[in-house]
Amino acid sequence: MGFPELLQFTFAGLKNGAVYALLALGFTIVYASTGVINFAQGEFYMLGGMLAAFLFAAYGLPLPFAAVGAVAVAAGVGVVFELLAIRPRKDGDPLALIIITVGGSILIKALSRHVFGPDEVSMPVFTRGASLEVAGARLELQTLWIWGLTATTVAALTFLYRRTAFGRAMRACAVNRRAARIVGVDTRTMVMASFGLAAALGALGGLAVTPLTQMRFDAGSSVALKGFAAAILGGLGSPVAAVVGGVVLGLLESMSIAFLSSTYKDAVALVVLLAVLFMRPQGLLGRARREKL
Amino acid sequence: MPRLTPRGVLVAAVAAAAIAAILGGCGRSAASAEPHRIGVIVSLTGSYAGLGDPEKNALIMEQERVNDEGGVNGRSIELVFADDGTDEARAVTAASKLIEQDRVVALIGATGTGQSMAIRGDIRRSAVPQVSMAGGTVITDEFDENVFQTPWSNTIVVPFVLDYLRERGLTRVALLTDAGGYGKDGHAIVTAEAPKAGLEIVEDQTFKPGDTDMTAQLTRIKGSDAEVILMWAAGKEAVTVANNREQLGIDLPLVGGPGNARREFIQGAEEAAEGFVLCAGRILVPGAYGEDTEEYRVAADFIERYREKFGKDPDIFAGHAYDAFHIVVEALRRLPREYAPVHLRDEIEATSGFVGIGGTFTFSPTDHNGLSADELVMYRVENGEWVLEE
Amino acid sequence: MTPAGLRAFGSRWGWVLAVAVAVSTVPFLTSNTFLVKILTLAAVNVIVVGGLALLFGYAGQVSLGHAAFVGIGAYAATYLTSVAGWPWPAAAAAAVALSVAGGLLLALPSLRLRGHYLAMATLGFGEIVHLGFVEAEPLTGGVDGMRVPPAVVAGLDLSTPAASYLLTWGCALLAMVVLRNVVTRRPGRAMLAMHGSEEGAVACGIDLTGWKVAAFGVSAALAGLAGVLYAQRTGFVSPSQFGLTASILFVAMAVLGGARSLLGPAVAAVLLTLLPYIDALVPGLPRAAAEFVQAWVEVLVGFVIIAVMLFAPSGLAGLMRGAAARLRPASGPADTGAEEDAAAGGGEAA
Repeated sequence: MGFPELLQFTFAGLKNGAVYALLALGFTIVYASTGVINFAQGEFYMLGGMLAAFLFAAYGLPLPFAAVGAVAVAAGVGVVFELLAIRPRKDGDPLALIIITVGGSILIKALSRHVFGPDEVSMPVFTRGASLEVAGARLELQTLWIWGLTATTVAALTFLYRRTAFGRAMRACAVNRRAARIVGVDTRTMVMASFGLAAALGALGGLAVTPLTQMRFDAGSSVALKGFAAAILGGLGSPVAAVVGGVVLGLLESMSIAFLSSTYKDAVALVVLLAVLFMRPQGLLGRARREKL
Repeated sequence: MPRLTPRGVLVAAVAAAAIAAILGGCGRSAASAEPHRIGVIVSLTGSYAGLGDPEKNALIMEQERVNDEGGVNGRSIELVFADDGTDEARAVTAASKLIEQDRVVALIGATGTGQSMAIRGDIRRSAVPQVSMAGGTVITDEFDENVFQTPWSNTIVVPFVLDYLRERGLTRVALLTDAGGYGKDGHAIVTAEAPKAGLEIVEDQTFKPGDTDMTAQLTRIKGSDAEVILMWAAGKEAVTVANNREQLGIDLPLVGGPGNARREFIQGAEEAAEGFVLCAGRILVPGAYGEDTEEYRVAADFIERYREKFGKDPDIFAGHAYDAFHIVVEALRRLPREYAPVHLRDEIEATSGFVGIGGTFTFSPTDHNGLSADELVMYRVENGEWVLEE
Repeated sequence: MTPAGLRAFGSRWGWVLAVAVAVSTVPFLTSNTFLVKILTLAAVNVIVVGGLALLFGYAGQVSLGHAAFVGIGAYAATYLTSVAGWPWPAAAAAAVALSVAGGLLLALPSLRLRGHYLAMATLGFGEIVHLGFVEAEPLTGGVDGMRVPPAVVAGLDLSTPAASYLLTWGCALLAMVVLRNVVTRRPGRAMLAMHGSEEGAVACGIDLTGWKVAAFGVSAALAGLAGVLYAQRTGFVSPSQFGLTASILFVAMAVLGGARSLLGPAVAAVLLTLLPYIDALVPGLPRAAAEFVQAWVEVLVGFVIIAVMLFAPSGLAGLMRGAAARLRPASGPADTGAEEDAAAGGGEAA
């Protein structure tokens, strides 16, 4: 295999990895504030794509506005979901909340089929133009968008977490919710914000991918599974851990196609994931997280 | 072991009485003046909802038309719909509900191959004829005298496409299939038929429904000495393949099957769809039949009425439903007012020269697919439209 | 749960027997085989969820891969009867044994992983097995699936609606009896201790490894058995029936039912299985209304799951204990819920 091909496989892995990372970030943020794996995370990915395509086609909004609108509406849905379905469960039992998110996933998916119909929807690429040629490999402009959005998001989140009062409050919640409450952190707002933020990130991933893949009401779960795997692989810690998890998973899939067979790419990725978990039960960056906090 | 308490006995009695009351409401007697009741199993929810939806539309439209024209032999047609949710267990229970509770004379469905196969046991036991709208080869290959099928089976389509490739001198084929039922079915037949057609599979890649990027698979293909990419997939992933191929600058021709004969494919792939060659029936461009033929009139009439009622063009799935409906209705027309179910099956099998949307159907005791390669043409996407490939 | 609570549970055995009597009369009361069939599917899920209730409500081990065991049971029994020509009882026994082997394999990660990491590992296991169903075409028929020959034992066809109903519900009730014996005796106490605090359990001399492996083994055996019965009921097995969606629904049933309860999860399994068929279960529902219900039933399922978790904090088991306590105020303390929730939260923290 020549270098251009190897580079091409790397691009493919990094592209999928960036999408997985956005979903993993959503999982990580909600987990940090509630200790819950949000099974509805994939539905926000789906909503992002559906809403953006819908706003673009039905209301003729310019693409950037449609994108911002989709992220905003999805975040709103996330917040409303938290207010109506998560907050009323006062004891915050993580298991009960997880099952609530399962119910939420079923609900959002079914409602989307009613609202948007059962067919796939399309959206144009953000920037038209030919693919770039990088050392013999091709790199399409939409991939640059996906990377750019992911990188910006991670930078913004890192800044938010490290430099702002809001971020410190979030991190305090993640370490110990009760203690955070005692020192005056409004934990309820933090939980709400985390659901909104996670929904926005999922939506961002979905709308960035839709021009390449189309979107359909049931497209959320299979990608969410990858995002969940990426989050676990990273160790459910910091934004950086989620990105590392996503990128590793994306590259793993791409390289198993390069060197083995596409039939078993999911199996290969899963087996490696299980092996990593078995050897490092806290995930790849699990320890790093503990030291930082 | 604790004793059975009086309270327990009471609860048991109440429960039994309640269940009996529910069951009592379900009985229904079939009077002779009743309509012809036909059961329909479609996927209105779950991942095949996009297929089941136009099928249901077409069926409702045709039911109304036949009833407005006075029904069949003085009896109207009543369709009883059941949603299988793209789930085999629900398809099985739907079949027994329709057969045993609604006493349907025939079953149209299901939308998917898995669901169509899952109800085989009930079909066998009840001898109610089934006309499936799913394309899986297995449906009629695993032969059952009660089971018929309206889409073009891959056993017909694949050799037709392979012949096309050979005629074009494209003998080294890169195969790219989805790991779902449709792609697997195509994959098995392509790999079996290719050597017979003098073709060589030089690269064999798959992807899963829901995958968001196929550049890795296409990079493998790019690095091979293939002359053409043959894609066998149904669903939105085909758009990703077309987009990724364009993006990687692969100039090998991309060829597909009826699974890609959807408007959504052209809308999603846009410029990347240009030049895409696919095989399908003539419904995409009814003019392919010649404008003074009955085939053209049937197709054009259906398309016009569907467009008027639902505000969009019918796709191939609506066509499969149209065919299934009229195959059953035409068989009912040939029967007397009262008949035994087994005679309906015999009449369906006697369908000969029925002009539908998918083509002209002629069933026989050994062929329950009824279509031949004569119904197929190759299309090319040009300026966002299907045109006949010369 | 306190020993007093256990005794209160035990005193409700009369109810269980009553249910058994009521349940067994259904096929004799009706000619509606459709109803009999969906009630059989409910019993299949009762068996799976019963095993999960033990694994999860008592031993505190999460599994997001249990549909794989159902699949292993269904496929193994089908393959052994239809291809290898084994008699059905032998095939069924072998299928359950194979599921147990899978369960023991899955128990391995549970010895090292906890919480979400264990959930991910079981999910991965389920996905890999699911891939196996798709790819091992000579054994499983691939995505096309395979049809299941009727089980005939001593001239008796077990695949008729009534026979499979009685067989499946018989197995379900037997499973409940066995599980109850497990949870009310030493194994159950050991598992509960483990659920509360693994360190504490070890300090009390409880063999963590042994009980975890045993819990996985028993729940896998039940899931495998359910698979064997499921195959008989639907007459068809294909990979899509044994994927992640099914696994998640099983867990949802177990949690909706309530932790540290067998009856709650069983009731949840029955209700959640029947919910998608609600249009056919309400007698005399006009066809237009039935189609409307069909179109919105998924929304209803999602809504019910959320509503139960919000308004019944200890699941259906808590609701039922509350109702029982109101009916018989003298026979034991009402369910407070707080104790259970505290324990559940403690068990979850990884």
